[in-house]
Amino acid sequence: MSVNPVLEAARPARQAVLAPRPFRFREWLERESVFSWLLLTPPLLFLIAFLGYPFCYGFYLTLVSRPIAQPATFVGLGNFEKLWADPIFWKAVQNTIVFTGAATVLKLVGGLGMALVLHQHFRMKGITRAVLLLPFIVPTVLSTVAWQWILDPGMGLFNRSLINLGLVTKAQAPSWLGNPTLAMVSVILVNSWRGLPFFGITILAGLQTIPPELHETATIDGAGTWGRFRHVTLPLLMPVILIVTTFSVIITFFDFQLVYVLTGGGPANATHLMATYAYSISMGGGQLGLGSAAALAMVPVLGAVLIFMNSYVRRT
Amino acid sequence: MDGTRRGFLKLSAAGAAGATIGAGWRPRKASAKPEKITFIRESSYVKEFDEHFNKVLIPRYQQETGIKISYEIVAAGGSAVPRNVAIVESKAPVDAGWVQQEWLYREGLLDVSDIAEAVGKEQGGYYPAITELSKWNGKWYSVPFGNIGQCMAYRRDWFEQAGFKKFPDTWDEFLDAGRKLKKAGHPFGMSMGHGYADNNSWLLPLLWSYGGQVVAKDGKTITLDSAETAKAVDYVRTLYKEACIDDCVGWLDPANNKAYLTDQISCTNNAMSILISAKRDLPETGKVTDHGLNPKGPKGRFHSLVAVTHGVFKHTADPEAAKHFLRWLMAPKQVGDWYRSAQMYHAPYLRGYDKDPEWNKEPRFKPYLELLETAKLISWPAPADRRAGEVVSKWVVVDMFAKAATGTPTKTVIAEAVAGLKAIYG
Repeated sequence: MSVNPVLEAARPARQAVLAPRPFRFREWLERESVFSWLLLTPPLLFLIAFLGYPFCYGFYLTLVSRPIAQPATFVGLGNFEKLWADPIFWKAVQNTIVFTGAATVLKLVGGLGMALVLHQHFRMKGITRAVLLLPFIVPTVLSTVAWQWILDPGMGLFNRSLINLGLVTKAQAPSWLGNPTLAMVSVILVNSWRGLPFFGITILAGLQTIPPELHETATIDGAGTWGRFRHVTLPLLMPVILIVTTFSVIITFFDFQLVYVLTGGGPANATHLMATYAYSISMGGGQLGLGSAAALAMVPVLGAVLIFMNSYVRRT
Repeated sequence: MDGTRRGFLKLSAAGAAGATIGAGWRPRKASAKPEKITFIRESSYVKEFDEHFNKVLIPRYQQETGIKISYEIVAAGGSAVPRNVAIVESKAPVDAGWVQQEWLYREGLLDVSDIAEAVGKEQGGYYPAITELSKWNGKWYSVPFGNIGQCMAYRRDWFEQAGFKKFPDTWDEFLDAGRKLKKAGHPFGMSMGHGYADNNSWLLPLLWSYGGQVVAKDGKTITLDSAETAKAVDYVRTLYKEACIDDCVGWLDPANNKAYLTDQISCTNNAMSILISAKRDLPETGKVTDHGLNPKGPKGRFHSLVAVTHGVFKHTADPEAAKHFLRWLMAPKQVGDWYRSAQMYHAPYLRGYDKDPEWNKEPRFKPYLELLETAKLISWPAPADRRAGEVVSKWVVVDMFAKAATGTPTKTVIAEAVAGLKAIYG
């Protein structure tokens, strides 16, 4: 049997390949499947601890009657049945939908306008952009307390301005937080004021990604300002608008601080939202089970709102 | 030190004899002392009150026993109750403290019957209304402290200008005064929003004084739907329309202070805080501010309690130590000066302080002592249990009046309130 010298020379190398390589920790770490999990684990643990566990515990609470400092008794869907028959709960659902809907539309329209203005070139653009972010940066509780003063009937900024401009007399000055309809208008306004920069800045970011060539082409084709906005800017902004609106709907839907500080859900439940009502059942009424059910009930309602929104956007 | 140790021994013995002391109870050696006791309390409106605790009481206790007291202050204005609920639920390392609205979490408190009874015996006994909150099924779960009283704060100068030399004695006279004052540009501001104290403290006494009651003494029968309630509701609607500032229907607790101190209203139901702030910051307003008892109705005069009591959390690591501190704190030597440090802002539930010279320093505060005679718990006449708390926190009764004030017919608002009560009382 003749021996091929070339093959013989390669043998040790082949053997080395076939033999199990010693385990190297560093190499193991660098494997994509390991490394990606390594990066994912801390946030995952964080989410499980601070979101997963409370959510599951909250879900469990919805199925029991659990007064504070007392043992739980299983009631099945009893809590939801109670809520179903509770007129204040339905009032809160209605308020939450009106509040979220109106505030989101206001923020969207206002935010779009704000972004279009900020997209122009003018002096002190940077500072203006920073200042317009303020409502979003100031802690909600703090700004809401300021709003409480602004909306004060006798000495608040709103009514003082109305009186000084001669639009109303002192006796006619509106009660912003005392009239049930105006109270809802006020909380919607304050929420819109606070959320406007989020829309404005995000849409501005979207605007900046639209290539100027498209506008130039449209101009050459004879499109005016409105035409360019309607047929170039808006369609290209749509994905950004959809995302920012979805985020905003979720955040607005769960809003608690603003109403809690400004009206406590009053007068006569005119501004009670699902979140404030769930809180008052749990922490004020001591019914942790029923309160959790009211809180969890927000999820399907919000889901329905988001599905409706999504299908509407697709249709248009 | 010897005396203290004996005190500890005595308390341990009393505690052991005091039959059931919740799950947190474990026997301990009299010599084993904790390093620190954490005592939680809502920050007082009168800052001298907290200062007295920090600068006088804590050092004194440490000197006498060697135990440090950590005084955890929670912001006033409604955050103390949720904090207590959270402490009870999470078994946070807090030993004792202010317990308000304990109907929510009485099961999380330790039996302190020995302390409450000893303190009562030593200092003239308690006003009976408060025992219905602190004493439950024959045992005390809190030691009554003081009442943040609520009555009418009013502008004496404007009332005099309108022809009222004295504060109105009946609700009818009150309405009459309100009409005249509103015409003169000084409306009343009677809170009806989603607060806790300033709304309930006149609406419930008004309801009671017309003969209306929310739930009967048995804690089962809903008694709200009555001709008397209807009269009270009609009265509030008229009062709101003809005598009040529009805004008051949505007011939270701080709003009436703000409106009064900025000359927007001539009368409101409030604690002592308006006069205290006025004297401090607006002396001109302070001079013309006075207090009047709630007016009388066909069934008499009523007030409601805004109760402050102290209790020991069941989960405390060292029940005896916490109880020892509470007993020490409520002894006349400590508690008397503590009351006085806040000018009796917390009107003592202990009758031994009825004739305390501190009451004579500012005669305008005296109604806050007098009202204790006619004051009831806001659950009255029903038991002060969790359900009564739910009625309060869902604003069932307050909203009945607020809806009427904003135009809903009397029958509808009563029916809606009864439906709300049924959901709670089943």
